[in-house]
Amino acid sequence: MSSPRRHSEENYLLGYLDGELPVRKARQVERHLESCGPCRAELEQLKDTLVECARYRQDVLVGQFPPAPQPWRDLYRDFSRIDESLANESLLVRLMRPLVHSGAPRWAFVTGLAALIVVGTFLQLRQAPSVQAATLLRQAVAVSATKPRPAHRIRFRTSHQQEFTRLAGTPAAVIQVAEMQVVMALFQAAHYDWNDPLSARAFQQWRDEQIHKTDAVSTVSNPEAPSESATQIQTVAAEGELAEAGIIFNSDLAPVEERLEFRDREWVEISEIAETSTESAGGAGVNHVEVPVRAAEPPSRPAAFAPGSSASISDELQVLSALSEIGADLGDTVYVNLADGKVMVTGGEGVSPQRLQKIRDSVADLPHVEVAFTPVPAATVPPETGPTGSVVFSQTVSPMQSRLEKQLGSHAEFDRFSTQVLDLDDVAMQHMYALHRLAEKFSPEDEAQLSSKDRSILHEMSRKHTDVLAEKVGNMERILVPTLTSLGGTSGRVRPAPAHTAWQPAAEDVYRSASRVEVLVSQILGMSSTSGSAAALPAELLAALNQLQGDLKDCQQFLQK
Amino acid sequence: MAQLFVETREDVYRYLLTLGVHPPKAQEAVQEVFLRLYTSLKKGEKIESLRGWVFRVAHNYGLKVRARQASEERFDPALEARLTAPGNAERELLDRERMGRLNQAVEGLSEQQKRCLFLRMEGLHYPEIASTLGISASAVGEFLRRALLRLRKVRDE
Repeated sequence: MSSPRRHSEENYLLGYLDGELPVRKARQVERHLESCGPCRAELEQLKDTLVECARYRQDVLVGQFPPAPQPWRDLYRDFSRIDESLANESLLVRLMRPLVHSGAPRWAFVTGLAALIVVGTFLQLRQAPSVQAATLLRQAVAVSATKPRPAHRIRFRTSHQQEFTRLAGTPAAVIQVAEMQVVMALFQAAHYDWNDPLSARAFQQWRDEQIHKTDAVSTVSNPEAPSESATQIQTVAAEGELAEAGIIFNSDLAPVEERLEFRDREWVEISEIAETSTESAGGAGVNHVEVPVRAAEPPSRPAAFAPGSSASISDELQVLSALSEIGADLGDTVYVNLADGKVMVTGGEGVSPQRLQKIRDSVADLPHVEVAFTPVPAATVPPETGPTGSVVFSQTVSPMQSRLEKQLGSHAEFDRFSTQVLDLDDVAMQHMYALHRLAEKFSPEDEAQLSSKDRSILHEMSRKHTDVLAEKVGNMERILVPTLTSLGGTSGRVRPAPAHTAWQPAAEDVYRSASRVEVLVSQILGMSSTSGSAAALPAELLAALNQLQGDLKDCQQFLQK
Repeated sequence: MAQLFVETREDVYRYLLTLGVHPPKAQEAVQEVFLRLYTSLKKGEKIESLRGWVFRVAHNYGLKVRARQASEERFDPALEARLTAPGNAERELLDRERMGRLNQAVEGLSEQQKRCLFLRMEGLHYPEIASTLGISASAVGEFLRRALLRLRKVRDE
């Protein structure tokens, strides 16, 4: 029986189906699938197994496990207990504790206290919008409680250019207008009170539920009476169906207008209809004046960003350096390019909103930067790949893996060993790719244009990658060499380093030899098929590790100059 | 938060059973984990994936609970007996046999492979599984890949 052909892409099929591959890798797998029948068949088999797993969960785990023995507790009571104990542990107490317990001299205590007052004031200032918003809402709720309003009419305007009115302040009657049902569903999904949506209480209830939020409070003109001023609260939520809500209160703290923006980009504006209004429900074609409910534009950039001047390679370097500071050059799907006179920061697929914000913040103060992340990461839907069905792979454990298991003593030991190696390999390869990107982006000619300060920034970044790479490769060697040697591997001769003139071509060599190590590591751990003789693998890997060490040293030498 | 609790508690509870924690302890642990989550959020901790966090903390907590129940046996749901028990009329015999075989295969997986598989079944992403188990995301991918290969082998037998 001839041994079936296997491809390295085969190892990524599961990650591909699960939507867990980096974009670039996923594309690579996709391209491969287009042209490879056996891998497509493999993908189908894998899908079937996953379906089986889902059934297993449903039938066996959910179906056969004993249910929880007691009814679930109502956690709300515990929550308020936690609230109380946290409130008692005030900021001051928490900050002072180390000083009190450290046996610091009395003057340190006094100085510390003075510093804390400054810090406290600063925090107070920084917290101002959220404190302000909460206070305002409390007041507005109190006002509405003292003056209960009879049922009143409110007008809805939606992103679909629909308008309708309804009575508010009463439990919702049967709703017949389809569009209104859609809006109601939106509100319910967002846990926003539908009965009396244009009210301080509804806003407050929703806002209180948001754990991660940002508030802004500003003075705007009253949409009902433009000569008067009004107060607007604007809350952006990190989670939940409702992404952003803004409410405007008149000087009596009565709500006059509200705008809700949902996560799926739908928005709804609600306004009060004055008692004298003669407008009827569903008034299509009503001229609606756009009211400035949205927050003011962020402050314009400093003068240094004057239009006309365009980004340089040095600006790009600054951005890369800032991203490198927060590790965004390792594994995050963030790309930096010079385009249209700007440094474009793009990508962001699969990166959490918090992380994206951190990335934005890290480059916010740099000149000529434009951040344009891919809006909402779409769910990864693997393309339909026509099954071929006739190819079956043998799925035995590779001979190399069983040799390793025997050598290491047990399957569990092998798992531990491979996890260790893969962990190191993972980190090493991230730095290898980051180094390679820098070498590609800044050719020796480009580098010649840089100021000496910029050049040293570039070298510093590259050096950081080579250093981590060298450390991880060293660790890998320590783990691998004894085992590989006992499997009969001897480290061969290292190809002499070619005489490079700059670090970039040396980094190219590092890239090549590190890629070789990556392939061999996955082969020796039985993760991918071997093209040559399995018996030669230990020696090949030892040689490749040696080669990588040599190439790294060469590259490091340039960067240290 | 309350919604998260309702949606997640059974899943976390079952995961703790797969770790060998006995049902009453598992239920207690789940409730405790959610109280911890609430406290952490109140203290201003930034948590990227709440579900991932819950499973991670539950995993560590569950292992501790299991260690404390050292004198006792690990919880064993006796799935095999349940799956082969006669009179399980609602399920076709063939189906039951298949699930029984699959169950045997799952039980034959290494501890890490099993954990990765269960966490994946609960919809966690590889990085979340990785931080739950304290391994790398690529190792998670690898454990899962192998686990599935074994399951498939059994299926095709």
